[in-house]
Amino acid sequence: MACDKRDELIQALHEGVVEMDEDLVLETANKVLEEGCNVYDAIMNGLAAGMEEVGDLYDQQEYFVPELLMCADALYVGLNVLKPHIDPADLGGRAKGQVVIGTVQGDVHDIGKNIIKMMFEVAGFTVHDLGRDVPLEKFAEEQLRTDSEIVALSAMMTTTMMGMEKVVEMIKAKNPNVKIMLGGAPVTDDVTKLFGADGYAETAGNAVQEAVKMVSQLRKLQD
Amino acid sequence: MNLKERFLAKFNGEDVDITPVGSTTTYAVMAFGDSIGKERPEADTDARVMADWAKVPTKLVGWEWVKAMGWDIIPLSEAMGVELGAPTRDTQYFVKGHPYNADNLDDLEFPSDFLQRGRFPDVYGPQIQMLKQEVGDEMVIFGESEGAFTLAANLVGTELFMRWCFKDKGKVARVLEVAKQAAIAAANWAFDQGVDYYVFAEPTSGPALLSPRMYKKIVLPLEQEIVAALKGPAVLHICANTDPVIDMMCDTGVKGISIEEKADMKAAVEKAHAKDVRVFGNVATATTLFNGTPQECYDEARRALENGTDFLCPGCGVAPQSPVENLKQLRKARDDYFGLQSE
Repeated sequence: MACDKRDELIQALHEGVVEMDEDLVLETANKVLEEGCNVYDAIMNGLAAGMEEVGDLYDQQEYFVPELLMCADALYVGLNVLKPHIDPADLGGRAKGQVVIGTVQGDVHDIGKNIIKMMFEVAGFTVHDLGRDVPLEKFAEEQLRTDSEIVALSAMMTTTMMGMEKVVEMIKAKNPNVKIMLGGAPVTDDVTKLFGADGYAETAGNAVQEAVKMVSQLRKLQD
Repeated sequence: MNLKERFLAKFNGEDVDITPVGSTTTYAVMAFGDSIGKERPEADTDARVMADWAKVPTKLVGWEWVKAMGWDIIPLSEAMGVELGAPTRDTQYFVKGHPYNADNLDDLEFPSDFLQRGRFPDVYGPQIQMLKQEVGDEMVIFGESEGAFTLAANLVGTELFMRWCFKDKGKVARVLEVAKQAAIAAANWAFDQGVDYYVFAEPTSGPALLSPRMYKKIVLPLEQEIVAALKGPAVLHICANTDPVIDMMCDTGVKGISIEEKADMKAAVEKAHAKDVRVFGNVATATTLFNGTPQECYDEARRALENGTDFLCPGCGVAPQSPVENLKQLRKARDDYFGLQSE
């Protein structure tokens, strides 16, 4: 179905996310459905592209965590309206894989984890969120149960970071091909190597950037 | 001049012969416990063990003052009924659940028996007395807890509290009013017990989470009000790169600020001294003291001295698994810097 207002609606979704305007996003997402526009296009080039800009603003220290949360709220308002209407054909060949994500035992700081989770979801991953203060063995169990390709671990404290090493050991012992990403304030590239993990994000900002890159790559594939 | 006199002279902005070295953050290093045959959670709940542990680094790694009130930054949250996870040998108490939300916020009030709750009466109180008796003439003793903003976030959950900072200022004001009373009560109680200064750790208010704009609007007036109500001097610790808020940290009225390696020590010292505030820091705890070589620890400690730190310290809470050899480098770097023989 032709969609004359495509560019205008895409722009409004983008702006709604960046400006934390839930009403604008809700109204526009409903218009996308009314006008018969491509829903997947609206999600990726409207909502996700808006979140990309939010990632940039965070990186430039224009936006901070509360702003990210407000933008994420606006994004979810749009996603909730649009996601049920995605044409399955648009997702063909685009299954990005599965991610197990959680904050390790002893740590309840989950803002960063929730932001990354959202970015994975937007990028088309299936996310298995274990939440926060997750018993270490639960990560390996969930990876095996879901056969996920990626496990993403978060810790915000030096003390809880130590649990990550045990998780890496447990997972790699059962399945050496799983990619393990570490994130959180005390984690560094050195720590990631020391613990035997595969990748890390230096800060929440970097993690968002990494996730945003995934979204960008996905959008390029779509073009 | 003994260690206490030197510390206090420096704290008051006087010139002293050498820069004091120690920690103004938590130091539940497992090796410290091993040296007295103790471990967590006993060190968190038994006044005698907590006091013995507090003194270990003065002998083992040459630090020059001692910490009271334990090895976590949740004393206020605990007393306010925040659900905690149990400490183990290598992890501290941590916040597990939040007692308040939008639905029951009306129930939130400052309890009249606040100082009879948590570990205040049976652990912190006796521990401070022991430290006073055993090292109080020679060394400075400081108390520490989370600050009011961090407590507020613990009461309702950080994510919800951050959203309220945007969407519902009334709720923010309500939670902060109670948190403020708790912070003032705890610090003044500690001064009554005999601590020389009190640290508010405010990780949740730092630029890793909160914009400087919001810090100015919400945190600065809150901290100013608290500090003005205290019976003794305070130090404000904020994690991560605090460069954008150093001026405001100093404007809270505290006598000292404690910063991490991610912050620019030289610039911080310049700004702080202009406002008659002292700076503590800033050797990296995760990358250097836990994960680095002794040489890297030494070099980073030396840099902190060259950049003008007033008190050579770890930049944040010391990781439990940090090697003793690494921690010794702070003292060694300080002694070498001032041409002293290391003991």
